[in-house]
Amino acid sequence: MDESATWRLPESDWYSPRRLHDCPTHYSFPQAYRQKLIENLSLDSQGRPFKIMVFRGSPKSSRKSIRFVDELRQEVAAIFEKDCKQTPYRCIPKGEKRVLDAPRLRNDYYSNIMSWGINNILAVALGPELYLWNSEDQAVHKLLQVRGGNDWPTSVTWSEDASTLAVGYMCSNLQLWDVESSKLIRSLQGHSGRIASTAWNGHILTSGSRDKSIINHDVRAANSLASCIKRHADEVCGLKWSTEGNRLASGGNENLLYIWEASKMSSSKFLHRLSDHCAAVKALAWCPYQNNVLASGGGLSDGCIKIWNTEKGICINNIETKAQICGLEWNRHHKEILSGHGYSIRENQNKLCLWRYPSMTKVGELGNHKSRIINLCQSPDGITVISAGADETLRFWDVFGPPTAGAGNSMVSDLQGLLSFRTSLLR
Amino acid sequence: MASRTVAKDIITLRGSAAIVSEFFGYAANSVMFFYSILYNRGVYPEESFAKVKKYGLPMLLTQDEGVKSFITNLTAQLSEWLEAGKLQRVVMVIMSKATNEVLERWNFSIETDSHVFEKGVSREKSDREIMREIQAIMRQIASSITYLPCLDEPCVFDVLAYTDTDVAVPFTWIESDPKLIANPQMVKLHSFDTKIHKVDTLVSYKNDEWDEQ
Repeated sequence: MDESATWRLPESDWYSPRRLHDCPTHYSFPQAYRQKLIENLSLDSQGRPFKIMVFRGSPKSSRKSIRFVDELRQEVAAIFEKDCKQTPYRCIPKGEKRVLDAPRLRNDYYSNIMSWGINNILAVALGPELYLWNSEDQAVHKLLQVRGGNDWPTSVTWSEDASTLAVGYMCSNLQLWDVESSKLIRSLQGHSGRIASTAWNGHILTSGSRDKSIINHDVRAANSLASCIKRHADEVCGLKWSTEGNRLASGGNENLLYIWEASKMSSSKFLHRLSDHCAAVKALAWCPYQNNVLASGGGLSDGCIKIWNTEKGICINNIETKAQICGLEWNRHHKEILSGHGYSIRENQNKLCLWRYPSMTKVGELGNHKSRIINLCQSPDGITVISAGADETLRFWDVFGPPTAGAGNSMVSDLQGLLSFRTSLLR
Repeated sequence: MASRTVAKDIITLRGSAAIVSEFFGYAANSVMFFYSILYNRGVYPEESFAKVKKYGLPMLLTQDEGVKSFITNLTAQLSEWLEAGKLQRVVMVIMSKATNEVLERWNFSIETDSHVFEKGVSREKSDREIMREIQAIMRQIASSITYLPCLDEPCVFDVLAYTDTDVAVPFTWIESDPKLIANPQMVKLHSFDTKIHKVDTLVSYKNDEWDEQ
C-alpha cells in the first residue's frame, strides 16, 4: 500500500471522536502527504478553487460601511494604528507625588477654581481667597481676597501665555489680573449670574454663566463685549476652546453640549447641538492629537465619557464610568484620557480613572480622596495632574509620564516643553 | 435576483444569508458565534462580556469597543460575500500572543445551494428549526471546554475567509496562508442548514503536550 493512500481516510472516520480513542494521538505526516496537502489547499472538497484572506480592519473600507459610526471609529483607530509605536507598559503611580492643604476649598460641582499656567504657577481659589503656588519653588502667594462673605471666585483661568489671569465671581463680576505686579487690570461686565466657566482663545476671553449666556470678550478693546450667546437653557458650566481656536465647546446644566465655530459666534448659530448626556456637562477636553475630536463627561445621572467627532457632530465612542465626572484631561504623551470623579452609587467614586484611547479600555485608577473630586488640571509639561477634592486637598499625580520622544503625538508636548523652557529663562 | 423574505417560513437567499451571517455576526454591534468562542475559550476575560438573549440562549457580547468594531466590520464583509454566493469557509484562528503559534482553529464550511443562487427559488424550513440547530451548536461550543486543552497564555484571534478566486481582496483584508495546526486533533460539531446555505463546523486544536504518549 503506497503511503499517500494510508492517509486518505474516509471523511466520517477522520472526524469521528472514536478515532481519537483508538488511534495514537501523535501523527507525523510524511513529506509526501504534506506535499499533497499543499496542492489540495487551493482546491476544496468539490474541486472548487479558492483563495484565503485574513481580516485586518485597516482604515478605508472599499465599500460603504453599514455602520457609519463604526467607520468613524475605525478611522480614529486606524490613525493610531499607523502612527503608533509600541509603547512599553509603564507604571501608573499608586500614590500622589504631593498633597497640598486646601482649606475652605468650596464643595461646589459647578465651579472651576483651578488653573495651571504656562508660567508654572498654579492659581487656585480657596473660598473667598485666591492663591498662587509656584511649582518650581513651591512659593505661595495670596493674590486676592474678597471681603463681605457673599462673594467668592467661581472660575479661574490663565490666558494661553499666562500673562493674565481671568477670575470670575459668584456675583457675576469678571476680572483680569496681572500676576507679576499683583494688580487688577480691568473688570468686565455683562453677566447677571455667577461665572461658572471661562476659557481663553488668544485675546478672546469667553465666559459662561448661571444666567445661561456665553459672552465673548475682546480684552484689547475698550468695549470688550464682542458677542453674547443665549442658547443654553441653564447654567453654562463647561467651556473649552479647541487647540486651534476654531471651535468652542460649551456644556450646560440642562445636559446639552453645543459646538460653536469661532467665526459664527456673533450670530448665535451653533454648529452642533448634542443632547446625548443625561446630566450636566461640565467636563470638556479637546483631543491634543486629533483635530476636532472632543471628550465630554456627564454628571451624576449620566456618568458617561463621550468622544465626539465635532466635524460631523457624531458620538464616536461612549464609556460608562457610572460616576459623576467633574474633569477630563488628555495625556499628551501617551494615547490616554484621565477622568476625575465625584459621587457614585456604584463604582469609581472619588477616583481618577485612566483610559486607553481610542479603545477606551481602563488602564487603571488612582485616588486617595476622602470625598469627591471637584476639579482637575494638568501641568504645562503634561506629566502631572492635580485633583482638587472636597476633602480640602490638592493632590498631585505624575500619571501622564514618562514623556515619549517621538514625533507626531508628542509634537504638542515638545512645543510646550520649548515654551516653558523659554518662560522659565525669563523668570 | 433573490427577493426579501415574504412569508414567515419561507426563506429566500437574502433571508438565508441574513440568518447565516447572523450566525457569524448579527446586527446591533454584536456577534454570536465569534464571541461565544472568544468567551468560552477565554481569549478575552469574562468580565469584558455582557449577557444578552438571542436565539433563545443567553449570549455573551464583548464590551471592548475595539473587538466589537473589528468583528462588526468583518462580518459586514462576510455577509456581502455570502449573499453573492462567494463565501466558502470562515475560519476563526486562535493564536498564542507571544509566539503566534496557532493553537485552535474553528472552521465553518459553507455550502451554497447553487440552484437557489442562480434562480432565486425559495425553500421551506421554519425559523424554529434553524434556531434549534444554531442553539445546538452554541451549546457544543460552550461544552467544548471539556475536551479542548486549556489556553492558559494570552491569546489573540484572527478570522480567515475562504472565497472564490474571482473575489477582489477588499482594502480591509489581505491574502493569507491558511494558518494550519501541525498534527491537529479534530472534532466535528453539529451543522446547521437553511436549505440554501449549509454550515459545517469543525474545531481542530493543537495536541495537549500532557497527553499520554
